[in-house]
Amino acid sequence: MTAPAVDWLADLQDQAEHTVMARGVSKIYHMGDEEIPALDGVDVTIRTGEYISIMGPSGSGKTTLFNVIGALIKPTEGSVFIDEIDVAQLDANELAWLRCRKIGYIFQAYNIVKVMTALENVTLPMLFAGVPADEAQDRAVEILDRVGLGDRILHTPKELSGGQQQRVAIARAFANRPAIILADEPTANLDLKTGEDIIHLMKEMNAERGVTVVCATHDHKMLDISDRIVWMEDGQIKKIADRDEVKIEISQMSEH
Amino acid sequence: MRVASWDIGKLALRPRLVWIMALSSLKVRLHRTFLTMLTIVTSTAFMMYLFTMPRSGDLTERQSWMLMLVLSLLVCAAGVLNTMLMSVTQRYREIGTMKCLGALDSFVLLAVLTESALLGLAGALAGVGIGLVISILLGLGEHGLAFAQHLRLDGLLWKVPLVFAVGMALTTLGAAVPAAIAARMPPMDAMRGEK
Ligand SMILES: Nc1ncnc2c1ncn2[C@@H]1O[C@H](COP(=O)(O)OP(=O)(O)O)[C@@H](O)[C@H]1O
Ligand SMILES: [Mg+2]
Repeated sequence: MTAPAVDWLADLQDQAEHTVMARGVSKIYHMGDEEIPALDGVDVTIRTGEYISIMGPSGSGKTTLFNVIGALIKPTEGSVFIDEIDVAQLDANELAWLRCRKIGYIFQAYNIVKVMTALENVTLPMLFAGVPADEAQDRAVEILDRVGLGDRILHTPKELSGGQQQRVAIARAFANRPAIILADEPTANLDLKTGEDIIHLMKEMNAERGVTVVCATHDHKMLDISDRIVWMEDGQIKKIADRDEVKIEISQMSEH
Repeated sequence: MRVASWDIGKLALRPRLVWIMALSSLKVRLHRTFLTMLTIVTSTAFMMYLFTMPRSGDLTERQSWMLMLVLSLLVCAAGVLNTMLMSVTQRYREIGTMKCLGALDSFVLLAVLTESALLGLAGALAGVGIGLVISILLGLGEHGLAFAQHLRLDGLLWKVPLVFAVGMALTTLGAAVPAAIAARMPPMDAMRGEK
């Protein structure tokens, strides 16, 4: 299912306003003869600088949507535009550049490189981007300080708690000042309190640095800090709600 | 439609980082590193010994040993292949993560090849030395202090580099497939939730 042409024009008119556009995105996985539809005609526009949460039951297609938006897999149908550029046009090296410079990934399992210190992990994306080593180091120290790990920059992941590792991941994701941060259930492995701290940190960084954040989460408590919320089900977007609507819904939910 | 709002540049390869990745990977799997190095040492030492062994031994024996040499070189290459495959598969997540952060395929390729080259370098150097020492000891045993004239020491200038080169070539051969697998691995494997 593709969006009607009129939407296209409207979208193009405020192109400075958004960072990501997904249009008619479908993804079918093949396992042997079996076809598993993971996304089914997803249209979503992510505005520049917003904090957007994606909710939905397990298996509803959140991770697949992240992978498509993050240029990690190709959709079966449809297109993804980041900053107006059709990701499908990019060759392998340009995709690597896109992942390095324009996108910051935050994973459920932190994915800190085990053999490296927090500092080295945060310098990685800057080094690949071509930032001189000492400048990368200075910037890494600054940003690790910002996420509250100023006294742990030389620790390896073994010596850090889950919450601290996720802070390293946040620092690393923001290091290259990307256009967009994609966080796929970043708090799923953390206890409630630590998870809340992590979400709040991401929200603060989003506000401070004007970096768009897309975050998949199960936790309803996190909704009131989101600018918008997307509900997914069976590979489709069921609803997109603005902050005001969300506030109303949350108050209704708490009445029950 | 392509708006030129981006200035798509080149990513950096970062040789120092290649080096760090290779070294740390050898260190993390220290046991395997030593075992693999041992097979490289054995087969190159064997080859060096056959090249320089005392002339007294009968020739048919030496020829049958040549066959064993070929076998031991094959076993060595297979050992490197196995070790490097393990090294790569154990690091799927790490490699995928690095790719999400901007590591080029060539970075990953070089890191794996550097790792195996270090193995090959250390193993082949030790092998050449040990092979020579065995020849000398056997020569000493058979001929006493006048051993040198009984050893096949002619052409050492090509024998040493040749044995060394064979050792390096075997390790690189063994590492080629794992390196290619790692370099071409899609980064999305890192996105998976499981530990
Ligand atoms: N690599 C894959 N191969 C086959 N099926 C997959 C793969 N990844 C996800 N799926 C399937 O696609 C659907 C959506 O999964 P996913 O995007 O992971 O959802 P969520 O992140 O919301 O839990 C599920 O039915 C899942 O089993
Ligand atoms: Mg998921």
